[in-house]
Amino acid sequence: MSGPGKLDLLQGTLDLMVLRTLATLGSLHGYGIARRIEQVSGDHVILNQGTIYISLVRLEERGWIRSKWGVSENNRRARFYTITKAGEKQLAAETENWERVTAMVGRVLADRGAES
Amino acid sequence: MTSPFRLLWSRLRSLVSKDRLDRDFDDELATHLELLTDDARRRGLSEPDARREALLKLGRPASLREQHRDARGFPLLNALVQDSRYAVRVLWKSPAFTVVVTLTLALGIGANTALFSLVDNLLLRSLPVRDPDRLVQLQVFSAHRIPGLFPKPWASSFDRTVFDSVRAQKQVFADLVGFMRLEDRPTITVDGAVEPEREVEQVSANFFTGLGVSPILGRSPVASDDNVAVISARWWRDRFGRREDVIGRALTIAGNSYSIIGVAPPRFHGFEVDRSADIWISPASEDLMMVARLMPGVTPVQAQAAVHPLLRQVVLERDPRSQSEPMETEALAVGQGLSALRDQYKTALLALMALVAVVLLTTCTNVGNLLMLRNAARRRELTVRAALGAGRSRLIVQSLVESTLLAATGCIAGLLLAQWGVSIVLSMLPLPEPPGGLAFDADTRVVGFAAGVSVLSVLLFGFGPAWRATDVDLTGALRSSQGVTAPKRTRRLGRVLVACQIGLSVLLLVGAGLFVQTVRNLSRLDMGFSVDTLLQVKIDPRFAGYKEGQIAALHRLLLERVSAVPGVRLTSSVDYPLMQGSSTSMAISLPGLERRNDEMWDAVGVGPQFFETMGIELVRGRTFTAADFASDYVPAPVSGSGPRQVSELVRRNGPFIINEAFAKHYYGNADPLLTASPVVGIVRDVKLLGVGSEISPLMFLVSRRPGRFGALVVRTARDTQAIAPAIREAIQTVHPQLFVGLSTVGEAMNRNIAKERMVAAISAFFGLLGLSLACMGIFGVASSNVAQRTRELGIRRALGAGGWSIIRESLRETLVVVAVGLAGGAVAAFVAVRLAASVIADLLFGLTATDVNNLVSAIGVMVVVALAACTLPALRATRIDPLAVIRDE
Repeated sequence: MSGPGKLDLLQGTLDLMVLRTLATLGSLHGYGIARRIEQVSGDHVILNQGTIYISLVRLEERGWIRSKWGVSENNRRARFYTITKAGEKQLAAETENWERVTAMVGRVLADRGAES
Repeated sequence: MTSPFRLLWSRLRSLVSKDRLDRDFDDELATHLELLTDDARRRGLSEPDARREALLKLGRPASLREQHRDARGFPLLNALVQDSRYAVRVLWKSPAFTVVVTLTLALGIGANTALFSLVDNLLLRSLPVRDPDRLVQLQVFSAHRIPGLFPKPWASSFDRTVFDSVRAQKQVFADLVGFMRLEDRPTITVDGAVEPEREVEQVSANFFTGLGVSPILGRSPVASDDNVAVISARWWRDRFGRREDVIGRALTIAGNSYSIIGVAPPRFHGFEVDRSADIWISPASEDLMMVARLMPGVTPVQAQAAVHPLLRQVVLERDPRSQSEPMETEALAVGQGLSALRDQYKTALLALMALVAVVLLTTCTNVGNLLMLRNAARRRELTVRAALGAGRSRLIVQSLVESTLLAATGCIAGLLLAQWGVSIVLSMLPLPEPPGGLAFDADTRVVGFAAGVSVLSVLLFGFGPAWRATDVDLTGALRSSQGVTAPKRTRRLGRVLVACQIGLSVLLLVGAGLFVQTVRNLSRLDMGFSVDTLLQVKIDPRFAGYKEGQIAALHRLLLERVSAVPGVRLTSSVDYPLMQGSSTSMAISLPGLERRNDEMWDAVGVGPQFFETMGIELVRGRTFTAADFASDYVPAPVSGSGPRQVSELVRRNGPFIINEAFAKHYYGNADPLLTASPVVGIVRDVKLLGVGSEISPLMFLVSRRPGRFGALVVRTARDTQAIAPAIREAIQTVHPQLFVGLSTVGEAMNRNIAKERMVAAISAFFGLLGLSLACMGIFGVASSNVAQRTRELGIRRALGAGGWSIIRESLRETLVVVAVGLAGGAVAAFVAVRLAASVIADLLFGLTATDVNNLVSAIGVMVVVALAACTLPALRATRIDPLAVIRDE
C-alpha cells in the first residue's frame, strides 16, 4: 500500500506549483516546468522530476491545462503545456485556499504559550 | 468545475488508445532525460555520470509509466484488480476454507442449474427448427372427451395420398412434413457388422427442408432420393468419430440398404423428445404422422376446418363402425416436440425446482456463516487496515470481491456438478436410453442461469458478513489488550444464520420425508399377488418369424421348456406384459348383467395356471382348467333350464374370471356365479397393470389367440436371479431370436415408480445435505460458545458446579438457537406444505402433504442431529481445567 495521506498532500501542492509555473511562464515542456520549480524554490523542492508528468495528466484531464506537441531546444519531440482559462480560475481559488490554510497552520504552530 | 463527462471521456479514450499514449509518454520521458543529461554534461560530468544523474533525477521510467497509466485510467478498475489479486492471495492461503466454501456453493448452484437445465429442455424450450410456433400436428380424435384423460386418436398417421392432398392446401399450410418412428428397433448393420440398436424414423423427403433443419454435414434428402439416411450428430460422434467420410457410406436397416447423405445438427433429435432418433430414412414406406407449418395468419382452428372433411373420410374408410362416431380434427401445437415425460414429470420437476431453491438458501447461509467465522478470525487484519485509513466502503468492496471470486469458482464447479447431476437424473428415467434432447448442454441460457444464481448467492451470503466484518470499532479494538474479539453483533448474526439453517433443513427434511415415504408406501403396496420370486420374460415371435396363428402353440412349447428348468416352480403366460398398463378393452354382454351403453371392460388374456403362478387368491368358484384352454366355451348345463343362447363373443372368449371389484361394481348384490353366467370364478383384486393403477374392475379371459406382445410369467424357487440365465437359454434353444428381455416383476414395479423414486432419491440427498450443513453450523455455534465462556465455566467449575450444570450452562445459548430454528422451520414447513399440497398431491401416495407425523419426524430427526452436534462441545466444557483458567487470570 502506498501511504495515501502523504501522497495526497504532495499531489495537491505539486499541482498547484505546476499551475503557478505555467501561469507565469506560458508554454513549457515537462523539463522546463521541473527546472523552473527547482530554481524558484532554490532547489529546496527535490522531486523525482518524472512525477511532474503524473501531475500534468491530472491537470489536463480536468481541463486546467492543455498541451501541444512541439520541438524542444535539443531538437527532440516534446509536449508543451499551457494553462487554460479554467486553470487560471482554479489557480486563483487554490492559491487563496493555500494561503488561508498555511496562515492558519502557521498560527497554530506559532502558539507556544501553553507549553511551559 | 470539471464536468464528470469530460473525465470519463478522456479516460475511456485513454483505454482505447492505450498503446499510443504509452508511446507518447515514452517520448516525453526520453526528451526529458536527454535534456537532463545535457544539463549534467554542461556542468562537466563525464558521459556515464551524466546519464546516471539524469536517471536519478527523473525517477524509474517503468514505475513512472505505471503511475502515468493509473492517473489517466480508471482508478476504481485498478482498485478492483488490486482487490481481486489480494482476494486470490487470501483464498489461496486458506485452502481448506476455500475448498469447503466452493464445494458448498457448487452444490447449491449446481443443483439449481441441473434442475433448470431439465425444466428448460423439457418444459420451456422449443425444438431447434425454424419458427417452431407455427408447427401443428394433424390428428383425428373422437369428439367425446373424458375429462382428465388424453384421448386416443382415431387416426394419427396417414398414407401418401392423404399426405399429398393435405400438403396441396397451400393457402393454409406453408409446408407439411411426415415422420414415423419404427416401433421396434430394427437390426442395423454398417459394413456388414451388426450395430447396437438405434431409434430409426421414417420421414418424408421434405422433412429437414420443411422444418428448416440444415445438416451440419452433407445435405438434406430431396424427393428424387432413393433410400437415403440422415444420421444424428450424436451417432456420428459416437460411431463414426465425426469423420467426414461418413457421407456416402452404406448402412442396412432391417435388411434394406441406405446411403448416408447428411448429419443432423447436434440439438436436433426428432419430434419425440423422450426417444431421440439417431437415423432418419427416406422415402417412407409406412403411413406417416403429419406435422404442418401454418401459413402466416392462419390459426389452428382454420387449419382444422380445412382438412377435417378429408381426414374424416380417411377414418371412415378405415373403420366403417366409426360412421356413428362424432369426430374432430385437431391441429396441436408441436413446437416443443412430443413428450410423455413432459406431462408425467412436469409437477415432479417443478417440485424439485422449489426444493433446490431451498437448498441454495441453505448453502448460502452456511457459506455466510463460514465467511463470518473467518472474518472474525481476521479481525485484527481488518482493524489494522481500517486504522491505516481504508474506508469502510473500500473494505466492503474488498470483502464482496472475495465473495464474488468464491461464487465464480462455485459457479464453474456447479456447472460440472450440474452436468453430472443431469446425467444421473436422466439415467433414472424409465427409458431404454437417456433422451438426447434433455442432455445437459452448457449453452448461454444454462450458463447465464448459473451465473445469475451465483450473483444471487453472493448477495445472499456475502453482504451480511461484509457489513458486519467492516463494522470495526477502532478505539475499542486498539485499546483492548486481549486482541480483537468479534463484537456481539457479529455473533448474533452468526446465530441467526444457524437458526435459519436449522429451519431450512427442517423444510428439506419434510419434503424428503414426504417423497421417501411415498416410495416406501408404493413398494409395500399389496399388489394382490406375491411379487417375490416372480419373473417376467418378454419374447417377440416376429423376430423369429412366427405368424399370428402360430403364437399359441409357441407359448405352449415355451412354457413346457421353461417349466423344465431347475428351480422353476410354475409358469404361465399373459397376453400383455405386466406392469405396463396394457390390457384389452372388451365390450361383452354377459347374461344377467346390464351393460351400460358403450361401457368397456379391462380384460387380460391369461395362460393355464396363471392364478397359481401369480399367487392370486381365489375368492369363490374355480380358476381356469386345462379343458378351458382346449376348446371354445360351452356353458355347463344348468339343471332345470334348457340350452342357453350364448353370444359368439362369449363363446369365443369365455369362460371368464372376474375380480372382486368387478363383482362389486357390476353385479352389486347379485351373485355373478349363480346367475348361470360364463363367469366361473372370482379372484382377489390385483394390480397387474402397474403400481400406480387403481383397483378397478378387471376380467380374465382364456388366452386362446395370444398376440405378439405376450409374455411369460415364471414363479421360481428362492434364488430368482440365479435361474434367469437358464430360462433365457431354454427360450433361445427354441429360437435364438425369440428372447427380448427378462426381469423380475419387482424390477418392473420399480420402473413403474421411477418418477417417485427419482424425486425421493433427489430430495433425500438434499435433505441429508441440509442436515449435515446444519449440523456443522450448530457445532460451530456450540464450540464458539464454549470457547468464549471458558473462563466463566472454569470458575463455575472451581466453585463446585457439577458436570450436568456445566453442560446445561455451556449449551444454553446454542439450544436457544436450535429451538428458534426448529420453531421457524416448523412454521415454514407447515405453511409450505399447505401451499404446495394441491400441486404435489400427484407425487404422493399413501400420505398427504400435510401429514402431521411427517412434520413431527422431520423435527425429531433435526433435534437428534442438533443434540449430536452439541455433544463434543459439551464434553469439552466439562473438561475445562479450573486451575488452568485461574492461572490464566
